[in-house]
Amino acid sequence: MLARTVTHALVGIDPRRVEVEAHIQGGVPAFAIVGLADRACQEAKARVRSSVAAAELEWPGTRITINLAPASLRKEGSGFDLPIALAVLAASYQVPAQSLEGHAAFGELGLDGRLRPVPGALVAAEGARHAGLTHLVCAAESAPEVALAGVEPVGVRHLGEAVSYLRGEHEPPEPPPPDDDFAVLACVPDLADVRGQERARRALEIAATGGHNLLLAGPPGTGKTMLARRLPGLLPLLGDDAALEVTRIHSVCGTLPVGACLVRVPPFRAPHHSSSVAGLIGGGAGSLRPGEVSLAHRGVLFLDEFPEFQRPVLEALRQPLEDGVVSVARVAARAVFPARIQLVAAMNLCPCGARGDAAVHCACTPERIQRYREKLSRALLDRFDLALTVPRPRGHELAGPPGERSSVVRARVLAARARLRDGPPSRTPSGDELLERAAERLPLSGRGHARVARVAATIAALAGSDHVLPEHVAEALSYRLPKEHGE
Amino acid sequence: MSELAVAMFAASTDSHLLDEPRSARFERFRAELDERGVVAELERRGIRWVARGDHLFPARLRTIHDPPPGLFVRGTAALTVFDAPCVAVVGARACSAYGAAVAAELSRGLARAGVVVVSGLARGIDGAAHRGALETGRTVAVLGCGVDRDYPRAHRTLAASIAENGLIVSEYPPGVEPTPWRFPARNRIVAGLCDATVVVEARERSGALITADLALDEGREVLAVPGEITSLLSKGTNHLLRLGATPVTCLGDVLAVVGVEPSRPAATALEPRLEAVRAAVADGPSAADELVRKTGLSAGDIAAALAELELVGAVVQADGLYRVGMPMS
Repeated sequence: MLARTVTHALVGIDPRRVEVEAHIQGGVPAFAIVGLADRACQEAKARVRSSVAAAELEWPGTRITINLAPASLRKEGSGFDLPIALAVLAASYQVPAQSLEGHAAFGELGLDGRLRPVPGALVAAEGARHAGLTHLVCAAESAPEVALAGVEPVGVRHLGEAVSYLRGEHEPPEPPPPDDDFAVLACVPDLADVRGQERARRALEIAATGGHNLLLAGPPGTGKTMLARRLPGLLPLLGDDAALEVTRIHSVCGTLPVGACLVRVPPFRAPHHSSSVAGLIGGGAGSLRPGEVSLAHRGVLFLDEFPEFQRPVLEALRQPLEDGVVSVARVAARAVFPARIQLVAAMNLCPCGARGDAAVHCACTPERIQRYREKLSRALLDRFDLALTVPRPRGHELAGPPGERSSVVRARVLAARARLRDGPPSRTPSGDELLERAAERLPLSGRGHARVARVAATIAALAGSDHVLPEHVAEALSYRLPKEHGE
Repeated sequence: MSELAVAMFAASTDSHLLDEPRSARFERFRAELDERGVVAELERRGIRWVARGDHLFPARLRTIHDPPPGLFVRGTAALTVFDAPCVAVVGARACSAYGAAVAAELSRGLARAGVVVVSGLARGIDGAAHRGALETGRTVAVLGCGVDRDYPRAHRTLAASIAENGLIVSEYPPGVEPTPWRFPARNRIVAGLCDATVVVEARERSGALITADLALDEGREVLAVPGEITSLLSKGTNHLLRLGATPVTCLGDVLAVVGVEPSRPAATALEPRLEAVRAAVADGPSAADELVRKTGLSAGDIAAALAELELVGAVVQADGLYRVGMPMS
């Protein structure tokens, strides 16, 4: 007897329909999986067999062949366990074959028959929808994700539960209601924790409003990381489409918190400076996986110890910063991942970190400092609209009152963003005159000039002004890249 | 005597020579040297040679006890720049932000007053001095290697702009590599070209102190910029002060030593809003955050005010700390 279930494999962050065929024929008992299944997939044999026994069902004592079609596509991971088990059960008449119609299946089985969630449930569900299927049998934990794709989730905890559902014996439990957006926002650290640092807070507010990339330089322990972590809390919540896009990436990478639904808060990613190009940009040997830039899509990518990243890693960032996507090509596969990020980078002023700290003597030679700063190419530094030096605060600042709460700043950011959307503030002759004077005196490069103008427009919007006035340009000038970084 | 032959021989034998040596080796060298060819080649590369016997040779340098046989000169300025008052601004390579700011500001003021700023094109104080002087006037770089060598590499563009607006000189012919022993020898030319030498920041054992010693030996003025007594970078300069060097407390101190009237830039009164911020900065180097608390203005307003003050040169920023510019008098 032949039976068939449908599931979806992940290619990059896109689903590919895979048919799982089970063929049972007489002969010596055997169990074979064909169709370019990888190691994790081959091991499904042991899990499926034990689960069937655990669910008090019968394992056919004959020859069983599983085919994963299309046979040319590499299949990876453990999401095929459930469809294989259901196909075997259907082929052995333990589950009515017609009950599988309109259903896709996705999930990993435990030896006790328990169903475990696997990354990528959202993408699998989207695949199911595109394939015209209405239901997806999956782990109960994945149900909220599946529901997002507009497919009816059949969230089950055990293989036995799935079988009794397919036999029409009982209905699956309702998925829990989605979390409240603002409750989710409460998990983001609050700006009120930052004491002092008025200038850096202001720069963060401007960055949040204009979506500018921000470079923070200063000795260790001045709160650069603390500030960066608070940026997502100042950004608007993601709209439906954006949230779905982000959730899909995080679903594939398995970075969604268990039971989470749509990711509404802009993500924050802070990869360590030892990260590889593939880790940051995406890639991998077999199937291509999104990297940190894609995980930070529509959110904040924070790179601490910026110059300590390997040069190729930093240069690889330029494409996503420019285009908002990364295209990764390997011999075996190619993929395009979305990567619209806001970059926040932090660095010390010198390799030993003491520079800018009055209490410590910096022993770095000029050559070392120069080598440290030369790691950042001009082309990369050009992507930072805002740069500022964060000196070490004096002790009494830290004892001062807490700063404004994120919610207060966020309200201003949202208002200014709305204003920018309606039409950017217009330039004024007096503002232009100051910009020209500065360009000549400092001097500013052509790109530097454009950066200052961009930031000035954001500052004007924050100030509620319809025109870019000289004071807005002046403030924007104070966030320009220091000369020594560019030379 | 042929100074060019002496200079070329000294370079080819790695020796420090002032006059013709009485050796057969030199005689052979001179006989083989095609001086006209060398001069033609220098001319082709836009490098001038001015011999010690030449009337264009800087007069002050000729009077030191071991003047070089001549100078190789790169750059467009006339050699008459050495007739103007010259001041050497020298100091540590690994300088502090404060030192670099003072060197630049001082050189800017000196150059504006018509004084030629002489330094060694090294990193740190030297580079800051050249940059500052280039903004408002003329500067001369003295190298311890061939004038075509652009050493250190990091200062290649700086060297190019000095060559455009000032001079780069060396006693070594083009192509000579920088070696450690040549730098003290170079320092005697820096000191010898100048009426006065200002040491901005120097550790206890610094090349800048050698320059100061050489200047003293020739009876030139030595000035030093006072620094924090707890900072290693001020050990050398404070030591000079204890020995009797003139302290530099403002631009006027240096100008008075070389007898030049300060030419004040037209003083523009600052708006009250900016003046308040400037006054707060004048209390001592401050981070922007401290100014926010001191003045009660918002962070945005402070940032705008500081940028405007920076533009008119009333404050300078380094490593996140703002300080007021150099006092004029």
